[in-house]
Amino acid sequence: MTTQQTISVTVNGTTHEALVDPRTTLADFLRGELALTGTHVGCEHGVCGACTVLLEGRSVRSCLMLAVQADGTSLTTVEGMEEDGNLHPIQLAFVEEHGLQCGFCTPGFLMTVRELLENSPDPSDEEIRDALGGQICRCTGYQSILRSVKLAAAKLQGAPLAGTTESP
Amino acid sequence: MSIEIPKTLDDLPNSSPRWVGRGVPRVEDPHLVTGRTEFIDNVVLPGMLHAAILRSPIAHARIRSVDTSQAEKLAGVFAVVTGEDAKRWSLPSPTMPEEWGTHCMATDKVRYVGEPVAAVAAVNRYVAEDAIELIAVDYEPLEPVADAVKAVGPDGPLVMEEKGTNVMLQRVFTWGEVDEAFADADRVFTEKFRWHRLGANPMETFGVIAQWDPVDESLTLRASVQSALHFGLGRAAVLGLASNKVRVIPHPHGGSFGGKGGTRGCDVAALLTRKAGGRPVKWIEDRSEYLTGGGSQSWDRHYEVSLAVKNDGRVTGLHVKLLDDMGATGEAFGAVNTVKPLACFTGPYAIPVARYDLTLVATNKLPQSPYRGMGPPPHNYVLEQMMDIAARGLDMDLAEIRRVNFIPKGAFPYTIPSGNEYDSGDYEAVLDKALELADYPALRDQQAAARAEGRCVGIGVVSAIEPGVFDWNAYAVVGAQGTGVPEGATVSIDVLGKITIRVGFAMEGQGQYTLATQLVADYFCVGFEDIKVVVLDTHSAPPAFGPGGSRLGVALTGAVLGACERLKAKLVKVAAGLFQMDASQVDLVDGNLVAKDVPGVEMPMAAVAGTMLGRSDLLPPGVDPRPEATYVWTAPGRTEADEQGRAKTYLTAAQAVHVVMVELDEETGLVEILEYCVVDDCGTRLNPATVEGQTEGSIAQGIGAALLEEYVYDDQAQILTSSFMDYLLPTVNEVPAMKKGIVVTPSPFTPLGAKGCGEGAMHTTPAAVLSAINDALLPLGVRANEVPASPNRLWTLIHDAKPQAAGEGPR
Ligand code: FES
Ligand code: FES
Repeated sequence: MTTQQTISVTVNGTTHEALVDPRTTLADFLRGELALTGTHVGCEHGVCGACTVLLEGRSVRSCLMLAVQADGTSLTTVEGMEEDGNLHPIQLAFVEEHGLQCGFCTPGFLMTVRELLENSPDPSDEEIRDALGGQICRCTGYQSILRSVKLAAAKLQGAPLAGTTESP
Repeated sequence: MSIEIPKTLDDLPNSSPRWVGRGVPRVEDPHLVTGRTEFIDNVVLPGMLHAAILRSPIAHARIRSVDTSQAEKLAGVFAVVTGEDAKRWSLPSPTMPEEWGTHCMATDKVRYVGEPVAAVAAVNRYVAEDAIELIAVDYEPLEPVADAVKAVGPDGPLVMEEKGTNVMLQRVFTWGEVDEAFADADRVFTEKFRWHRLGANPMETFGVIAQWDPVDESLTLRASVQSALHFGLGRAAVLGLASNKVRVIPHPHGGSFGGKGGTRGCDVAALLTRKAGGRPVKWIEDRSEYLTGGGSQSWDRHYEVSLAVKNDGRVTGLHVKLLDDMGATGEAFGAVNTVKPLACFTGPYAIPVARYDLTLVATNKLPQSPYRGMGPPPHNYVLEQMMDIAARGLDMDLAEIRRVNFIPKGAFPYTIPSGNEYDSGDYEAVLDKALELADYPALRDQQAAARAEGRCVGIGVVSAIEPGVFDWNAYAVVGAQGTGVPEGATVSIDVLGKITIRVGFAMEGQGQYTLATQLVADYFCVGFEDIKVVVLDTHSAPPAFGPGGSRLGVALTGAVLGACERLKAKLVKVAAGLFQMDASQVDLVDGNLVAKDVPGVEMPMAAVAGTMLGRSDLLPPGVDPRPEATYVWTAPGRTEADEQGRAKTYLTAAQAVHVVMVELDEETGLVEILEYCVVDDCGTRLNPATVEGQTEGSIAQGIGAALLEEYVYDDQAQILTSSFMDYLLPTVNEVPAMKKGIVVTPSPFTPLGAKGCGEGAMHTTPAAVLSAINDALLPLGVRANEVPASPNRLWTLIHDAKPQAAGEGPR
C-alpha cells in the first residue's frame, strides 16, 4: 500500500490537517474523516451529482476527486450554508417550494444552485436547466426544484420572501 | 373500545382546522436541507467493520471451488464468508411462487451476473475491496438463458435443474364469458407488445449495519428499509432466527419506489457480523451493485393483447396474454408485479369480461423487484394502446372511445371482472377537464399544421386507474398470505403538554411525518412546534408496513386519527372525573376539554394530561394514567380471494387522464415532449403540495420508462448497463413543464376521503407518451410497440418505414 500523505484543507472556514491514503476520494474524506456527512454519494462515478461540493467556489464532484488533490484548497459543503444558525436563502427556498422529497440529492443541488446564483444572480430558465443538467433527482421530477431556484434568486436579490407553500 | 374515525374535516374536534388540506411546508425539510438527516451511511458504530461482496461475473456457471485463503491473510480483514457459511447459517430465500429461491450467496452454481459469491468484512471499504480481489473462484461455465421465449421452450437451459422446467407459474384467469364476448364482437383487435426491464433507482442505494449478539443469538439491523417489520420477518426466516430475535431500526432513506431491495446484501452482512464475533458490519451497496444485483430491475414483459369491440366503440372483452421474465429466482416479489394488475385489470372502463393468460419464467437475469406501480404500468400501457388501436379501427377520436367506455359516475362502488371494487370517481369530469386544460382541439390544429410542414407530431390521450391501499389478498394467487395490512401509530401527550407521534416507518420522501403532524395539529388544535414524530424499531413499534402500494397516506391517516380518538376518550374520562360529571357530558373542542352544557367549565388538554401524569390524587379510581393511545388501522371490508383471484383488494381507485403532445425528430429518433397535461382525482388532498410532488415525480419516472430506461442483457445474459452512463435516468432537460388540474371525488371508504396517490402518474405516463408517439408515427404506417421507445428503436422504425411512406414501394 502506498504511504499516507498529509494534506491541509479548509472546509467551511475551518482548516484541517489530516493523514490520508492517496486513494481516498474527497467524498470519503469529507464524510469519513471529517464527519461532514451532508455530502452524499449516489453513484461514485460522476453522473448523479449528489456529491457536489464547492472547491474555491466552483462545483466539483467529490466522488471523482481524491482527497490529496484538494490539498491546500478551500471547500464549501452543505454544512457550510447556514448563516448564524439560519437557513441560507437557497435552503429556505427549497423548503418553501417543496424542492425536495427524500432529500438525498438535495445537498448536491444546493451547492450547484449556490454556484449558479453567485455567477448569475437572475438566471433565465435556460441557464437554470443548463446548470442543473448534471444533477439527478429521482423524486421530484425537477419542477419544484426549478421553482425553488427562481425563488432563491428572488430572495437573494431581496424580494419579499414567500414561496408557494401555504401558511396556516 | 370502538371508535369512529373522522370521515371529513368537519368531524375533527376543531372549529377551524388550519393544517390538513393545505400545502404546508414539511417537517422533514430543515434536517434534509442542512445535510443533518441520519441516512444509514452516516452512522458509525464503535468497532464497526465494512463489507464488500464478490459477485459473479458470469450468468450461469457451476462453482468448482472458492479459495479465500489469500483474502483471509490480508491485514485488516476480520471475516470472510462464502456459500458454505450461507448453508450453515441460513436458508434459501422464501419466494412467490414457492420454492424458487436460493441462498444469499451462491452455493452450487451462479445463476446471474451480480449474484453474491463471497464477502469480506474489513477495517474499511478500501481494504474489503482489496480482499475480495484476492478471492479465487473456479467457475465451470454453463449455457445461460437470457431470453424468456427461449426459456419457456423445450431446449432452454435450466436455471434450476431440480425443477425440470423454467416455468415458475402458468395460469389462465377467466372472468366471465370471454369466448362469447369475442365471438359476438363486431371487431377484434390484436397486437403484440414488448416492455423491457427497467427499475426504481432511488438516489440512495441500500445500506445496512448488521450486528450479531452471540449471547442471545439475536441480530440488530440498522437499515434503509421501506418496510422494517416486513423486512425483519423475512430476514428471520432466511437466517433461521426467531422473529423476535431480529430487530430492525429503520433509517430515513433516500427514496425507494419499491426497489430498495437489499435483502441479499443484508443477509450477507448478517453472516459477516456473526463470523466476526458480533462486530457491527456496515454494507453500503454501490451503484453498480445496485444496477446489476440489487432491487433495481422490474417488468420484463412480452404481451399479446386482444380487444373485443362493438361498432359503437364499446369494448366487450379483454384478453391479455403475458410472458414475464422473472430472472433467476422468485425472491423479490417479481410475481406480485404480474398479479397486481388484477386490481385494475380493465382500467377505468366498464369492460364486462376478461381473461389473463399468465406465464412466469426463470432466466439467468437478476430476479425482478417491485417498482412504483408494482406491475400495472405496463398493463395500462398495453390496454391504452389497444384502446387507441380500436379507436383508429373504428375511426373514433382517442378521447371519445374512452368516454364511451368509462365506468359511469353513478355506478360506484363498481366491481371489475377481476374482482376488485373501485370506490368512487367521475371519469368523464376528469377527461373533460383534461381536454379543456390541454385545449385539445387547438392541439389537434397545431398537429395538423406541423404535419403540413412535414413534422412528425403526435398527441396521446389516455386514462388509467391507480389502485390505492394495497392488500396482501391481491397477491393470493401467487402465494401471498393474509388479508389486511395493519398500520399503527401511537399518540402521546407528555406532562408539559407536548405531543409525540410514534410510527413504525422511516421517512423516505413522501412527507408522511408532515401528514401525521398536520393531522394531530388539527385534531388537538396545536401548532407544529408542539409535535414531534419519531420512528420506533420493530421491537417497539406498533404493527406497521410503512409506505408501499399507494397506501401510507390513507393508512397513516386512519392510524393517527384512530389514536387521537382513543386518546380523546381517555382525556374525556379524566376531565369528566375532575368536573364531577358523566363522560357523556364532556367533549374535546379546540384543544380543550369542555363540559357540554355548562359554559366556562373547561380545561386545556395539556392540563388534563398533566393531571394524569402528575396528580394521581385527583384521578378518578381505575383510570389509566397514560395520556397515550395506539391505534392500528386496517382497510375495512376486504375479502378473501377466490380461486380466480377475485377479492376486494385495493381500497381506493384514483383515476387520471393525461394529454400529451410530442414531436419526433426523424433524423435522430429523439422525442421531445411539447405539451404535458394531467388531471387526476385522488380524492381529498391532505397536503396538496406533497400530492403535487408525487404527481410531478411520477411523471418524470414515467417519461424515463417511456423513453430512456432499460436494462440491457446480451445473449450470454451479461448485463451491459451497470452504470448511470448506460442506464439513463431523466434529467431536468428531459422533463417538461406540466399543466395540472384536479377533480376531487372523496373516497367513501377512507378517513377524510383521501385515495392512494403515491404511485401517481407512473400508471399513466408511459401509456400517454407511447400513445402520442404512435399518433406521430401514424402517417408512416408503423407502430412503436416496444418500451422504452428509445431513439435507436424509433430511428430504426422510421427508417424502415420511410421508403414506403415516401412512395418507393414495398421492399
Ligand atoms: S456520487 Fe458523485 S456524481 Fe454521483
Ligand atoms: S429528493 Fe429524492 S432524489 Fe431528489
